[in-house]
Amino acid sequence: MNMKNLTGPLSANNPVIVQILGICSALAVTVKMEPAFVMGLSVIVVTAFANLVMSLLRNGIPSRIRIIVQLVVIAALVILVDQFLKAFVYDVSKQLSVYVGLIITNCIIMGRVEAYALGNKPLDSFLDGIGNGLGYAAILLIVAFFRELFGSGTLFGVQIIPQSWYIAEGGFYSNVGIMLFPPMALIIVGAIIWIHRSFNKDLQEK
Amino acid sequence: MAKFNVNSNAYIIIYSVVMVVVVAVLLAVTSLSLQSRQNENMLNEKRQQIVKALGENPETASYADVVAEAVMLDKSGNAISGKSEADIFEALNDLTASFEAGEFPIFKAANGSVVIPVYGAGLWGPVWGYIALEADMNTVKGIVMDHSGETPGLGAEITTDKVQSSFVGKTIFEGNELVSVTMRKGGATNNHEVDAISGGTKTCDGVNEMIKSGLTDYLPYLNANKSNK
Repeated sequence: MNMKNLTGPLSANNPVIVQILGICSALAVTVKMEPAFVMGLSVIVVTAFANLVMSLLRNGIPSRIRIIVQLVVIAALVILVDQFLKAFVYDVSKQLSVYVGLIITNCIIMGRVEAYALGNKPLDSFLDGIGNGLGYAAILLIVAFFRELFGSGTLFGVQIIPQSWYIAEGGFYSNVGIMLFPPMALIIVGAIIWIHRSFNKDLQEK
Repeated sequence: MAKFNVNSNAYIIIYSVVMVVVVAVLLAVTSLSLQSRQNENMLNEKRQQIVKALGENPETASYADVVAEAVMLDKSGNAISGKSEADIFEALNDLTASFEAGEFPIFKAANGSVVIPVYGAGLWGPVWGYIALEADMNTVKGIVMDHSGETPGLGAEITTDKVQSSFVGKTIFEGNELVSVTMRKGGATNNHEVDAISGGTKTCDGVNEMIKSGLTDYLPYLNANKSNK
């Protein structure tokens, strides 16, 4: 068992800020912390089990149709997650709406299945999936933290910026509207990449 | 044992068939076993939205406390007899079909307020909601709106209390003419308008259309009960 599989994707090999995968959903679901959290959790479940299932099947899959098999497994897992969200956390499932279905197209999942699970043992693949899911979730939460705090003045829906600061209440502050728009998510991701690389000199391009 | 060829055509076809069948059975079983729970969630959500439209907190007030009766109206605003509450909630699942069939569900509160279900098109998908009117059939008591795919932070803001509470106290009639309540870009200027959402103009247009056409469908009932006063 290789613990590097679990910890590597958190920083040095992070799927979002190093491999630059899964950016599209990072832009879409990071307006608020709560959907970002559930999205991160859902992706962890899907990457982990997609890796596990594909690794178990890896010796029997005809290589000519392996991409199709990957898609079927991933799509089935995503539908399962969606069904469970609808049955047990209905509110959150409504907030995530179409993005749960879009996990299927998340490049991280297929990337890990293709690059890792098809050539490695089930347990290692499972950990690799959890690690990559965690790395993705961590970035989502960091981006969502800044977007929700400065865009809406709340975190997980709880008011953080005191009401008395707002201009409407006679204060000096107002929410930064651009934080709610997707371009700001891209800018925040860019800033995270910048900071991350300045601490990890080996990642910098020559 | 000879090495098994995993790339032969026969193997690929059998593999695909088995895979599809296994996945289909798995998904069907999950869907069936969770369905009653999901339906219960949806029904419960509708009840809560009706309660919320009437200005009560769904956490503390139950549907049964707040709503006196659910009635199905015909085109001219008269009650259709023989419709159970289950039938009426069933109609909410497909309001388009129900309206086309000339059946208009309405929920009456004990204090004379009514709740009208409405639906329309947002930017990315359907929007729907419940408008509660005071007993005068003119003043908006509350509104609850929901959507399936509007942009979070922009169009999806129609689900927030901030937007929904701005409708409270607005009036839908100017004299005898139905003017509805519209979300106006640039800010409300009179008692039939509320502020639109910046960045959510298309969604707001959809909401305006939804409320106007919804109220128009119920106009015979509204007029009849308004003139009674």
